[in-house]
Amino acid sequence: MINVDIIFKIAGVGILIAVLHMVLKEAGKETMAEMATIAGVAVVLFWVVPLLARLFEQVKTVFRLF
Amino acid sequence: MEILPLVGITLAGAVLAVVLRQQRPELAMLLSLTIAVFIFLSVVGRIGAVVQVLRDLVERAGVSMFYLGTILKIVGIAYIADFGAQISRDAGEGAVAAKIEFAAKIMILVLAVPVVVAVLEAVLKLVP
Repeated sequence: MINVDIIFKIAGVGILIAVLHMVLKEAGKETMAEMATIAGVAVVLFWVVPLLARLFEQVKTVFRLF
Repeated sequence: MEILPLVGITLAGAVLAVVLRQQRPELAMLLSLTIAVFIFLSVVGRIGAVVQVLRDLVERAGVSMFYLGTILKIVGIAYIADFGAQISRDAGEGAVAAKIEFAAKIMILVLAVPVVVAVLEAVLKLVP
C-alpha cells in the first residue's frame, strides 16, 4: 500500500488555495490571488508527477511493455 | 481483505474531490488522478502474480511465449489508454479522450497483426 497521506495532502493544499484565493480577492489583490493559485497547482503537480511516473514504471514491468 | 481500506480511502478522496470541484476544478482533477494511481499501485502486485502463473502455464503447455507476450502488451496498452481516457474525460476533455482511445486501438491492431498472420498460416498448412 503506497502512502495514503498524499491524497489528503493534495486535498488540504486545494482547500487552502481556494480559501487563500477568496481572501486575497476580498483584499483586492487579484494578481496575488492568481499567483497563489498557480503556486498551489505547481506544488500539487510536483507531488503527482512522480507518482504517475511510478505507475507507468509498474505497468511497464508488469506487462513487459517495452 | 484489502478491498475495505481501498474503498474507504477512495470514497474519502471522492468527497474531497467534490469539495474542491467548486472552487478549484484543476486541483479536483489532480486529486482524482492521484486516487486512480493509488488504487492501481495497491493492486499491481496481484496482477504480477497472475501474470507469473500464466507464464508458467504457457511454458508447461509448450506454446511459444510470443503469444502471451502479445496478449500482455495488449492488456497493458488497453489499461493505460483507458486510464488516460477516463481521467481526461473527467476533466471535461471528451475529444482528447476519444483521440487517446483511437491511438490505443491502432497500437493494439499493430500488435495483433502478427498473431492473425500466424493463425492464417497454420490454417493454410492444414489445407492439403
